[in-house]
Order: sequence, then structure tokens, then C-alpha cells
Amino acid sequence: MSNLLELVDVRKTYRIGPAEIPVLTGTSLAVARGEFVALVGASGSGKSTLLHIAGVLERADSGTITFDGRDVSKLSRGRRHALRNSKFGFVFQLYHLLPELNVLENVLLPAMIQANAWRTLVRAWPRQQKATAILEELGLSNRLRHRPNQLSGGERQRVAIARALVNDPAILLADEPTGNLDPRTGRTILDVFQRLHRDHHQTILIVTHDVQVAALADRVIKLEDGRVQGA
Amino acid sequence: MMYTLFLCLRYLTRKKIVVFPILAVWLCVMMLIIVNSIMTGFVNRVRSAGRGLMGDVVIQSRSAAGFPYYAQIQTRINRLPQVAASTPVVNAYGLFNLPNFQTSMGVEIVGIDPATQSQVSHFGSDLFWQHAAPLQTAADLAQAQFPASRHSLLTYAQARLKKAINLEEKLRKKLVAMPVITPTTWFAAIRHHWQAIAREDWENANYAVDRSFRDLGYLRRLPAHSTFASDAALRRALVPAVVTFKPPAQARQHYASPTDEPANGCIIGVDLGLYQKDRFGHYHRPADVRFSPAILTVVPVTLRSTLAMPQSRRFQIVDDCRTRVFTADSSQVYAPFKVVQKMAFMQQQDLLGGGTRPARCSQIQIRVHGDSSHAAVVAARRAIAAVVRKFVRKHPRLQDAGLQVQTWDQVQAQYIRAVDNERDLITFLLGLMSMVVVVVIFLIFFMIVRDKTRDIGIIKAIGGSEIGVGTIFLLYGLLISAAGALPGMLAGVEFVRHDNYIHDHILWRYFGISIWNRKIYIFSHIPDQVDMHAVATIVALAILAGLVGAFIPALIASMQDPVEALRYE
Ligand SMILES: Nc1ncnc2c1ncn2[C@@H]1O[C@H](COP(=O)(O)OP(=O)(O)OP(=O)(O)O)[C@@H](O)[C@H]1O
Ligand SMILES: [Mg+2]
Repeated sequence: MSNLLELVDVRKTYRIGPAEIPVLTGTSLAVARGEFVALVGASGSGKSTLLHIAGVLERADSGTITFDGRDVSKLSRGRRHALRNSKFGFVFQLYHLLPELNVLENVLLPAMIQANAWRTLVRAWPRQQKATAILEELGLSNRLRHRPNQLSGGERQRVAIARALVNDPAILLADEPTGNLDPRTGRTILDVFQRLHRDHHQTILIVTHDVQVAALADRVIKLEDGRVQGA
Repeated sequence: MMYTLFLCLRYLTRKKIVVFPILAVWLCVMMLIIVNSIMTGFVNRVRSAGRGLMGDVVIQSRSAAGFPYYAQIQTRINRLPQVAASTPVVNAYGLFNLPNFQTSMGVEIVGIDPATQSQVSHFGSDLFWQHAAPLQTAADLAQAQFPASRHSLLTYAQARLKKAINLEEKLRKKLVAMPVITPTTWFAAIRHHWQAIAREDWENANYAVDRSFRDLGYLRRLPAHSTFASDAALRRALVPAVVTFKPPAQARQHYASPTDEPANGCIIGVDLGLYQKDRFGHYHRPADVRFSPAILTVVPVTLRSTLAMPQSRRFQIVDDCRTRVFTADSSQVYAPFKVVQKMAFMQQQDLLGGGTRPARCSQIQIRVHGDSSHAAVVAARRAIAAVVRKFVRKHPRLQDAGLQVQTWDQVQAQYIRAVDNERDLITFLLGLMSMVVVVVIFLIFFMIVRDKTRDIGIIKAIGGSEIGVGTIFLLYGLLISAAGALPGMLAGVEFVRHDNYIHDHILWRYFGISIWNRKIYIFSHIPDQVDMHAVATIVALAILAGLVGAFIPALIASMQDPVEALRYE
């Protein structure tokens, strides 16, 4: 199986004034196409940082990041934006929806960013159809016009997943998606991930503290002292 | 990039705080339009009054004794294709004495030929009894049934008069019946205000009665069996074609015998102090001023610039003139050209040693053909100056006179430029104050960008670029300033259009505030014309201000690091 995403010897150190905080000290990690990988580790071990670097949100100090066979660690800003938009889908612990937009608009936003002005007009309808279909599949068909603050945490997280899926990403990057939810609701969110993986062969890299999640994953990677243990 | 527009429209409709910058832009745009329009209207009126005073081009001498050969100069310049008409003027200083009123004052005595003067300046239409009053009569009767006979018009005017008298009587009773009890000072102030308004209403009614009487007087003077097809025909019949210094027939009844009646009429400036002016700018002309005898005394200036024996003569006041140039209206008395010329020793004189000294005048005023645009006037001045220069070269006597050929705005440069400067200064100062809009937008955008830090991170995480995020906030600034500028424009324009109404009926009636006091201003109405170019400029600048104010916050937003923004709590 070919690797979709591969990080080799990634290093990252934060500097605050004279203090240096080494977070990643030569981390390597590979995610195969269609694989469901869970990333675990103590709080502050650098899981979020690693996820951000993998999703080209943040640059590493050194090391290579290969996505779909291409080195993406040295891409220009513009390319990184485009890559994030079309190939990565992010899901965050705190949902991170835009409060001024309603559910449907939040989900449509990545698609609107992807489209140029012409396609925005021509493809408006099919795109909306698709967004509605995704939301329906996630059980939110009756909440399309609601604003995020009118939804529960679990519903918000499903909207965030729908937003991550709207551009058909190659990989879903989720940072503690159940961290802010009670176990039962967390369970429903995990069901969503599991279904995506099983039915659609969606590649997923998920950061978690949750043992339930780790149990669902094809593979569990543990981050410790800035390195991947037992990979 | 459509998403940027989409997002800022959402921010515009779903964030309450934007009403503040919108309101700030709105108010500033409104204020600038109002001030600029009123000041521009004021400047335009000053300019047109200034121009109406003396035609387009003036030839004058630096010497108080004037210059000779004006008739020859006139024939030569009248031949120029640009020149429509020209007229000689004598200016002299002297005393104006009204024996019936025990009043005398120093005045500027202006000798003019009324017929040609009316062709050159507004003089003809500035006269009250010969022009403005008959025009008012025609306007008062415009609602009558046309075609109309003299008889039917008289009936109509009598009905109007009766109505005016009834109203006046009613208001007078109301004024008398106003409560006199004043328990507190607060009440006293209110009572004072309502009394002022009641008195004013009564004075207005009074004015309407006077005016109705005047209408009847003008109608009676029409030929007995005349009929008029329309109010335009009536206007033509009422307003004489040529203005004159000659007293009308009815003037005779003011004098005991024909020998008492002065041979010449004179016309006084309306602000000479003989009339009262009310808050509405109406002049109240006491009945006994018209046709009263006046003695004009001219102090002649000799060719050597010394003063000669003062010359006095009896006149009678036949009319008053309102040029709307205050300095002229408050100091000038007009009399026939030939008469003033003689009193000022400027007429043709036989010299003792034989020969003659040619007649002199102080100015030749000239009107230029066509629309007399500024360029046309300047070109005409150049042509006239060339003719004058050529003529002066042939006549040695003229070389000492120091003839100047100037356009009307050169003659009045200081006065007009002062008003122009005032307008520019006020607009500039208010523009400076309006910079506050930029600051308001900057501050509020700064707040919004900080408030939206996390959202900016999200937008970037899902693929929004730096330019995209910056564009959202720039567009946002643009939309906010446009959303303020457009209603501000409408409000400003509507305010200017109705400023007289707002001033007279809202501010004064309900709040007792009077800003534009017509007792003081030369113009009876607040300017209410809107200059659309200025409006477009102000709106464009306001929208630009929105962009400028949003620029730095937009820059900050676009440079925001997405990861830091996402970690932002
Ligand atoms: N911008 C930054 N500046 C300085 N230090 C940072 C910055 N971002 C992260 N760190 C540090 O890097 C380390 C790793 O942070 P990270 O958020 O990746 O941990 P994590 O494993 O996701 O923890 P948690 O499970 O609590 O979310 C932490 O010690 C944190 O203090
Ligand atoms: Mg984390």
C-alpha cells in the first residue's frame, strides 16, 4: 500500500525569548491511503503541532513532508492554501465554526473558497446539493438554516465534519474531535469517523486521548518526548 | 474570490457594531454636503450680484476727476462683435439730505442713464416699484381666471385684499389675547417665544395686506378695457419696458403745487437705512418715503484733484434699488447721468481763453454678448483693452487719466475672493473634522479584527489566502462607508433642498431658533441648490475614507498566523 502522507525526521522548536521549547525532535510518521490512524500521547507532547505540520498549516524547522508522492514542505504560501483547501479536511476540538454563518453556509465555505468567480455562479446549485447531502447523511437535514450557537456540541462537531468533507479531501485531520463532548455524544462522532473509513475508505489521522478511538483505529501511534514510539 | 464578498456581506448584516461607523460616515457626508452646498450657493449669489452690479467689463480711470472722450471710446468698442451694450457712469461723493425726515448722510452719488444701464447691468430688474413690485402683482394674480379683463382682475384682487385684512384682524386679536400671567420664568420664556411667533404671523399678514393694496394700485393703472390672455400677458403689461427717473403722475399729489415738485427723480439704495427689514427679509417701506423730496449735494473734484464748490439740487425719491451687494445698497443713490455729471463739473465746458474742455465720466460699463462665460468675458476684455490702448495713443489728454480695462471680478476681486476663501476654508476645516470617520472605522475594524482572530485562523485553515482575508476586511470597509455615504448623500441633499422650510417652520416654530436672520443677511433665502459634482466628490472621499480606515486592520488580519489564531482563546 502506498503512503499518502509521510513525515520524515520532522523537527520543531518554539522559541519564546531566550527559552527554547523543543516539541518535535525528529519525528517520522506515515499514513497509507485508506488508513485510519490514531495519534496518542500525553498532553503537551506535540500532537497538535504534528497535525498542523502534517496539514501544512505550520512549517517544520526541518524534515520532509511528502503528500501523494510530492514534497510539500517547501511549497509557496499560495500552493499551501490551495492544498489545504482541496486535499485536507480539518476537524478541531472546539469545532471552530464561523458564528455569523448558518450551518449550510459554514459547510459551503471551503467549496466557495475553492471556486473561482465563474464557477461560483455556475456550480452554485450542485455544490449546495452536495453540502445538503452530506449534512443529511450526518443527520442534520433539519438544521440547515440554524446558526452554530443554536446547536449542541455534538451537532456542531458534525457540521465541522461536513465542512471538512465538502471538498472531497484526500485525508481528514482531526484534533481531539471528541475532547469537548460527553462520552455518549463522543461515541456518535466516532461512529461517523468509523463509517467514513469503512464505507468510503476515507483516510483519517486523528489525535485523541480517548481509548475508544484508539480501539477503532487500524493503527495507534504514540508520541513521546517528541518522537514516535512503536511505529 | 466571491467568498470574500459573501463573508463581508454576512458580517455587514449580522454584526450590530457596524451601525456606528455607518452612522459616522452618514453624518459626516450629510454635514459636508449641507455646508458645501450652502456656502457654494452663497458664493454664487455674491458673484452673480457682483456681476449684476456693473456688467462684464469696466473701463475706469484712476483719477477721481474721471476721463474724457468716453462717447468716442463707446462708439469704438460698440463696434466690437463681443460687445452687447455699454453705458457711461459718473461716480461722485456727497450728502443725501431728507428734509421731511431730518436725516442726512454721506453717500456715493451715481449718475447713470437708466435705459442703457439696464442693458448692461441688473439695474432695471433691481428696482422695486418699477420692476419687483409689478412682478409680485402678476404673481399674486397668477391664480385668477385667465383670460381676464381688467375688471375681473380687480374683483379678484379685492377679494384677496379682503381675505388678507380678515386674517390680519384675526391675528391681531389673537396677539392681544395672549395670556399675560407668568408664574415662572420658564413659562415666561415660552410665552415670549409664542408671542414672538404670533407677532411675526401678524406682521406677515400685515405685509400681505400692504401687498394686496399695492396690487390694486398697479391694476388700476392698466388701460380701462384691457384683457389678458394669460398671466404672462399680464406680467408684460405691468412691468414697464424701460426704467426711468421720471416721477409718475401720481407723484404730483405729494406736492402742494407743480412748482414745488422737483424736476428730477433719484433712486435710493434699499439698505440706506430708510426701510425696516423683518426676519423674513421683507422690507417694510414707509408710505411717505416714496416721492419725498431729497437734496443731493455733490462735492466736485477738479482736474488737479482739489475739491471745488459743493453743488446742491432738489430731487424726489422715485424708486429703490436692491443689487444685493450690501456695500452698494447701503451707500448709493442713483440720479440721471447728465445731472450728476454737471453737478460734479464733468460736463463739457467752454474755456475762457476759447476752446472747450470735453465732457468726462468715471466709468464705462460694458456687457458682453451671449452666455458671457468667464472665458468669453476675459477674451472680450482683451479686445476692448486693445481698442482703448489704440485710442489713448492718439489722444494725449487720456494718457494722464490712467485708464484701466478690467473684468467685473477683477474690479471686485478682494470682496469676491474673500467669500471664496471663506467657503474653501470652512469646507477644508470640516473635511479635517471628518477625518474622524477614518479613525472611527480604524478603531472599530481593529476591534472587529481582534474579535475575529479565531475566525481568521479558521478561514485560513480551510484554504483562505492572505489576499482573500485582507480583501474581506477591505471590502467590508468599502461596504460600510458606502452604506453610510449613500443615505448620508440622500439626507444631505434633501436637507439642502428644504433648508428654508426646516429653518423657518421647524427650527423657529418649535424651538425658537433662528440662525439665518434675514435682517442681517443680504439674501432673503438660505441657498438651497446642490452642486452634484461636489456631492459626488464628497461621497467618493467618504468611501475612500472607509478603505483607508480599514486598510491597517485588513493588513493585520491578512498576516495573522493561522495556527496562532486557532490557539487564540
Ligand atoms: N506558539 C507556541 N509558542 C510556544 N510554545 C508552543 C506554541 N505552540 C505550542 N507550544 C508548546 O508546544 C508543546 C506542544 O503543544 P501541542 O499543542 O502540540 O500539545 P498537544 O500534544 O496537542 O497537547 P494537548 O493534548 O494538551 O492538546 C506544548 O508544550 C506547548 O506549550
Ligand atoms: Mg492538542
